[in-house]
Amino acid sequence: MRTRLAIVMGVAAIAASGQALAHHSFAAEFDAQKPLKLTGAVTKVEWSNPHIWFFMDVKNEDGTVTNWGFEMGSPNSLLRSGWKRDSMKLGDVVAVEASRARDGSNNANAHSVVLASTGQRLFSGQPGGQ
Amino acid sequence: MRIVGPAAWRGGMLALALVCAAGSSAGAQWLSLPLPGTPRTPDGKPNLNAPMPRTADGKPDLSGIWHADNWMRYNSNLLPDGTEAPMLPWAAALYKRRVETHGYDRPMTFCMPHGVPDAVTAPYPFKIIQTPGVTVILYEEFHKYRQFHTDGRQLPVDPDPNWYGYSVGRWEGEALVVDTAGFKEGSWLDNNGHPHTDALRTTERFGRINFGRLEIDVTIDDPKAYSRPWRSQTMRFELQPDTELLEHLCENNRDLGRLQEIWGGREPGGPPVTGRQ
Repeated sequence: MRTRLAIVMGVAAIAASGQALAHHSFAAEFDAQKPLKLTGAVTKVEWSNPHIWFFMDVKNEDGTVTNWGFEMGSPNSLLRSGWKRDSMKLGDVVAVEASRARDGSNNANAHSVVLASTGQRLFSGQPGGQ
Repeated sequence: MRIVGPAAWRGGMLALALVCAAGSSAGAQWLSLPLPGTPRTPDGKPNLNAPMPRTADGKPDLSGIWHADNWMRYNSNLLPDGTEAPMLPWAAALYKRRVETHGYDRPMTFCMPHGVPDAVTAPYPFKIIQTPGVTVILYEEFHKYRQFHTDGRQLPVDPDPNWYGYSVGRWEGEALVVDTAGFKEGSWLDNNGHPHTDALRTTERFGRINFGRLEIDVTIDDPKAYSRPWRSQTMRFELQPDTELLEHLCENNRDLGRLQEIWGGREPGGPPVTGRQ
């Protein structure tokens, strides 16, 4: 029970910190009503301010590949929630839950990132939490 | 030169080892670093309920790293629940437009920081350093700072306008009261977009409750934008023990162009636009 409570509190703490990402207005750029669930291989990580961006190749149903960009928080916020600059490496396959950009481009704001190989949850926040 | 004895040397090595141990467990940053002067419970954890520290002259010492306990609420809207700011018609119209467009053009979009008073409600912590003649706030957001001069000087009579204005502080009982004037237009009072003009004057009251808690409220007086002065909700802050500020800047702003395309009528695929920082 104690362990379970600790896990719940840990997730709650991460979720709370996941909200601490604001730079621009989330709602102005991304649409929480357009959720995405995508899995692909990481092609680029920009560990930079005011937002970390990472990019990954996603295979489409017709066999083509689309490169998607995902925005996350700033390095200071992610460091405090346990994310490190080498947490995600090029070639890692990750499952991402995100809110798509309002302009319909292949960009989104990620609020959940899970390493496919281990199931490790690298990041967890809330959609629209920025 | 004082000769350092073996005991002192061993103490220094122990301290160095502790720092290294803390550093290695927390990665390269100073995220977790036992800070001297922190009251602790018997198990070694910071005692946030310990009494408020005081300076040598008996004043409350506001120094420490602080973060709002409910930053999203304060950052969205400075006002207490169920109240509205007494906006003049032009200010009400501008506020309405800002809310309806989700604040796409708030200063942060252009890599400009939160201003007075809402810089303390940004999602990042701030550090207060209190000295006898000046109290400094270091804002983690975009690496900015303010100075509250407490050496008895008066506010300038005809100041050049500044983003953060000019600030002087005085003690009223246990509260540090900071008067600020000399603003330029541009910052928003909160993320919802309450506007201000160059006539803005703010009075911020800082009160430390105990080692772990700080409260701030602010009075907004801007006769060009509001029909009367109004007061914010009381904002509460929690001390962030055994840690340090981290760097936060704005060198890779990928959002501005997209936001201007979505909301501002900018042609898609136009020349790149960048923030101002």
